[in-house]
Amino acid sequence: MNSAVKTKKAEPMTKPVKPPKKRKAKSLDKAKARVGYLFVAPFILIFFLIYVPVIVDSLRYSFSTIYPLAGGGFVLDNVGWQNYSDALFVDPRFVSTLTGGIQQLVLEVPAIIVFSLFMAVLLNQKMVGRTLFRAIFFIPVILSTGLIDDIDMNNSFANYAEGAEIGAEETETAGEAVSTGASNAIISAVDLQGLFSTMKIGTGLVTYVVDIVNDVYNLVNRSGVQMLIFLSGLQSISPAIYESCTIDGATTWETFWKITFPMISPMILVNAVYTVIDSFTSSSNAVMNYIGGVYEGVNTQGGDVLATAMYWIYFTLVLVIIAAVAAVMSAYVFYQRRD
Amino acid sequence: MNAEAKVEKKVKFGKKKEFDVEFEDRTPFWERVKTKYLSLNFLLNVVWAIFRYVLLVGIAYVILYPFIAKVAGSFMSKDDFLDVTVKLIPKYPTLDTYKAIITENRYFEALWNTTIVSLLCAVVQMVVTMVIGYGFAKFKFKGNMLLFYCVIFTMVVPHQALRLALFQKFRYFDIFGIIKLIGGEQLNLINTYWPLALLSFGGLAFKNGLYIFLMRQFFRGVPDELEEAAYVDGSGVFKTFIRIIVPLSVPMMITVFIFAFSWQWTDDFYTTMFFTKTSTYLMPNIVTVPASLGAAGFASANVYSSAIINTCALMIILPLVIMYCFCQRYIVQGIERSGIVG
Repeated sequence: MNSAVKTKKAEPMTKPVKPPKKRKAKSLDKAKARVGYLFVAPFILIFFLIYVPVIVDSLRYSFSTIYPLAGGGFVLDNVGWQNYSDALFVDPRFVSTLTGGIQQLVLEVPAIIVFSLFMAVLLNQKMVGRTLFRAIFFIPVILSTGLIDDIDMNNSFANYAEGAEIGAEETETAGEAVSTGASNAIISAVDLQGLFSTMKIGTGLVTYVVDIVNDVYNLVNRSGVQMLIFLSGLQSISPAIYESCTIDGATTWETFWKITFPMISPMILVNAVYTVIDSFTSSSNAVMNYIGGVYEGVNTQGGDVLATAMYWIYFTLVLVIIAAVAAVMSAYVFYQRRD
Repeated sequence: MNAEAKVEKKVKFGKKKEFDVEFEDRTPFWERVKTKYLSLNFLLNVVWAIFRYVLLVGIAYVILYPFIAKVAGSFMSKDDFLDVTVKLIPKYPTLDTYKAIITENRYFEALWNTTIVSLLCAVVQMVVTMVIGYGFAKFKFKGNMLLFYCVIFTMVVPHQALRLALFQKFRYFDIFGIIKLIGGEQLNLINTYWPLALLSFGGLAFKNGLYIFLMRQFFRGVPDELEEAAYVDGSGVFKTFIRIIVPLSVPMMITVFIFAFSWQWTDDFYTTMFFTKTSTYLMPNIVTVPASLGAAGFASANVYSSAIINTCALMIILPLVIMYCFCQRYIVQGIERSGIVG
């Protein structure tokens, strides 16, 4: 604030023509800008002192081999693109895991978004026990992360190895509601195909829907934050708009598509990007899991640098996906006010 | 009829004297009931309500079932796993699993250490991300957007990709060779609180980009007039921040605190990277099968050991569950008030 006063006093000599009010505002803005840097300072400091060097290091490691020295310290040896070519052409499973992972990501994101939007609309309606349902639905946000996620994942792997007959008992005892074997699937594709065969819907779509329904536990677990974001968006829509719609005779269905959907479209964009980021950075992801295995693999010489190269390949691909999603969706997003 | 009685009650006690006069020529009671309850609209509403409850209860069951099953499995003894008739309710309930985890896996040591780490991180991250978010939301300085894109960038980069580099950075810690110049030796910060503290201080630890984003959105929703009024009254920027803004943002602070605390609590990436098992005993280290339970070499040994691992998971999340019971309403509140818009 002190500097603001100084500039205010100094300026009248140079530009006496301008009205005083405007000048004062300008200098206050300047002073505020300086304080702004102060607020953001911790981020700037650590970002440029630690984070940027770490990223540079990480990229450098991906182009080199690393030898630890006996007395402490390490030596880097530049090998050019060798780690990348190893990852793409030598490693037998990386490319197939990668394409499979990306494909799964592309299929899952719409499912998560549709589901979380639907649930948010439900949880936003007035009914008895809404608080309780909300409390239950946001449990996964807090509890199904990191360590617990890993433990659950290992369980399902155990399930898978056990096979169907013990698998059924294990579901009861070990706490895996998700089914991996066919014995405890909620619905099976064959039933649905019978139902839909008259409607001429392709088997691909049917299996896609069936897979999603059978994987509902996973779906619910991963759409917690998205539900929160949608809920906040729904809350911000003014009730007056709905009221005027009802008076004009719009049905609920029409109101949803003409009012709720456009108003919430920015949130759909945010959620799409968030879902992509969240699911590709989580360690339960198939690709991350595989690369983690490579990182810790003792038998492969230089697994750590190879894994770093793999991470960067994967990261670049996902960045392209995020850019594509954001570019396509931002064309359709409706902003109430642009600032 | 129940509905009839209700309406009559309302009629009798709802209004006082002028009631008779006002509703003299009202449509007969049965007509009113008919139009209200025998319409398609009402029927649709009832069907929708039933459908909604079935769906919500079903999904709530899907969410809760694993926890219920875990709790059931944690009380089962070895015999229960051999008995095929035992499903969810154990025949020979026992507390051995809990006892073994507490004594053999040193549960309380892990609990204490993790509490310290998580509390430290959560408090620092809450304060720091609030300050940074306020800076991004309310001040127009050169490079504001550019720096904010940097925040988004830190969200997008997977921390696994930086695993090796982060470890090496803190194992041989140095800033542009300055420390080597002064002390002559690079610092080894592994097994200290410094790596987590430094990252938290810069708003760069686990998921901190999201917190900064949330905070920024929240502060953008706070009207500027509020601060302008304070400035006019002669309060400085920092005083305004502490006296006006901080009390205002308590729900958001609690939200971020809950996120930071619980995600740090269950984090097994940074903690296992920065702490070795022997130095600071943390939650990820207790996830093993205790030897005394003898979970090997019989028919359903796999099921038994996975039930034990699940009990570990239960004990890890127990403090979080208690916290969640008290704080869950703040999560929704905080997010609702942030009014996140693209």
